[in-house]
Amino acid sequence: MSAFHFEGLVWHWPIAIYLFLAGLSAGAVFFAIMLKHFKLAGEAYHSPFVQAAAIIAPITVFGGLGILVFDLTKPLDFWKILVFYNTTSVMSMGVLVLMAYQVALFAWIACIFNKMILQLLGDRLAFVSRMIKWLVKQEAAITGVLVILSISLGAYTGFLLSALIGFPLLNNPVLPLLFLISGLSSGAAATLLGGVLLRGNPNGIEVRFIHGIEIPMILVEIGLIFTFFVGLILSGGQSQVAALNAIGYGFWGWIFWGGVIGVGLTLPLAANLWMKVSADRKFTYVAVTASFSLIGVFLLRNFILYTGQMTGV
Amino acid sequence: MEHSKRQFLKGCGALLAGVSVYSVTKSPLAENTDTEAQAEIKYAMVHDENICIGCNACVEACREVNHVPEGVTRLKIDRTGPFGEYPEQSYRFNRVSCQHCEAAPCVRVCPTGAAYIDKKTGIVAVHEERCVGCQYCIAACPYQVRFINPETRTADKCDFCQQTQLKQGLAPACVLACPTKALTFGNLKDPDSDLVRLLKSKPTYRSKVDLGTRPKLFHVQIIDGEIML
Repeated sequence: MSAFHFEGLVWHWPIAIYLFLAGLSAGAVFFAIMLKHFKLAGEAYHSPFVQAAAIIAPITVFGGLGILVFDLTKPLDFWKILVFYNTTSVMSMGVLVLMAYQVALFAWIACIFNKMILQLLGDRLAFVSRMIKWLVKQEAAITGVLVILSISLGAYTGFLLSALIGFPLLNNPVLPLLFLISGLSSGAAATLLGGVLLRGNPNGIEVRFIHGIEIPMILVEIGLIFTFFVGLILSGGQSQVAALNAIGYGFWGWIFWGGVIGVGLTLPLAANLWMKVSADRKFTYVAVTASFSLIGVFLLRNFILYTGQMTGV
Repeated sequence: MEHSKRQFLKGCGALLAGVSVYSVTKSPLAENTDTEAQAEIKYAMVHDENICIGCNACVEACREVNHVPEGVTRLKIDRTGPFGEYPEQSYRFNRVSCQHCEAAPCVRVCPTGAAYIDKKTGIVAVHEERCVGCQYCIAACPYQVRFINPETRTADKCDFCQQTQLKQGLAPACVLACPTKALTFGNLKDPDSDLVRLLKSKPTYRSKVDLGTRPKLFHVQIIDGEIML
């Protein structure tokens, strides 16, 4: 059995990229909101990290959706998914979440950067200015809705796969949680990376705040991965076969232990714990640990998608 | 202000949780209980593995009647074996095609409703116009019998010849083509049909019933050859 081509494979790597980008977008927004709420308040729009999140979140969600549309066998018919709905379909409900998420995302960005946008507009397009002023008044509500939608979006990517009852590795109740947490950490990593690239201070309060959340999150992620596979192995039967097949040996075993556990979780965790005691964070430090996290989450998406489809019931 | 925001968040959270639990629990199983009483026809099929000789006449007939392009198929006869020593050798044949599940996973996951159960006949069918080709149904089907038709670019599979033979009042092409009469097709709701009589006279099994899909393709298990675990 080759790692990328085998019988029963339906969804290929474009879907893994989509799952990665959707989770990343949700995570970036989540952390930008947390940064504003707990640390930056009215100064949020000055922060290169919030700016990075505001750029990354829309681009990744659009990119992911674009990949999804081109992966359809009839890309030009994509609008039918927006018109017809099936309440029992995870995908259908996910499309609703995605639509609402994008609206809330842009409303939130308009709120955060209202001063910049209003300044830029000047006297032109008076109705846009009026709308932004109105949105600013609703900021609390928009923020609340966006937090819920970003968490929903992060979990949805997991639910999408866990609805496939024929594959024991995917049809697993821990999967949506695992995808949510790993998606959030990829969003955090992307925000950090984008922030330092936009000349944000690698030793600033934003980095310290996100790193503070990152350690418990990595620990939770390790716990979830552990629960995920131990649960499968203890279930016995095909679930056990699927789990051992995935992490036991071969190409995907290497990806799991080396890529997901090693590069994605252990290295950033070790780096974060080490940095706690030492003083200054440098650009390279932030950029490299963030890149490790991103690589780890991207490999996790591919690993789950491919190994999940390898062992049918 | 803080207070109202918290109230609002709580409300949103509760609403969201409620809606998602409701939509997940509203399963095809639950829906079927109302329609089951009304429909007069519920088509099913029996494949007798003792009679099947693996000649693939059914596969060819299906391809011809339903214009299934080369490279894909709605129906496969899986061959395992040989079992035993020459000259006492035997093979086993298993029909792999749409099981027309009562609680069809493909129907549940389809985002546009292109995969649906025909309420009048119980046939799991595809609404070609609505299908966008997301392939979620193909991934969701535990029997791996759905495929993308390279010509129409839509999800395709066995529909008991709903659009071809049944329209003309004929039995499915595979049933008519079978030289040994290993296939029996009929209405589960008609107690006098050959299908029901066969199901009552011989023990049958269905594939992967533990998944709760309630398939309507029955198999008469082969009694020939060695016992397999």
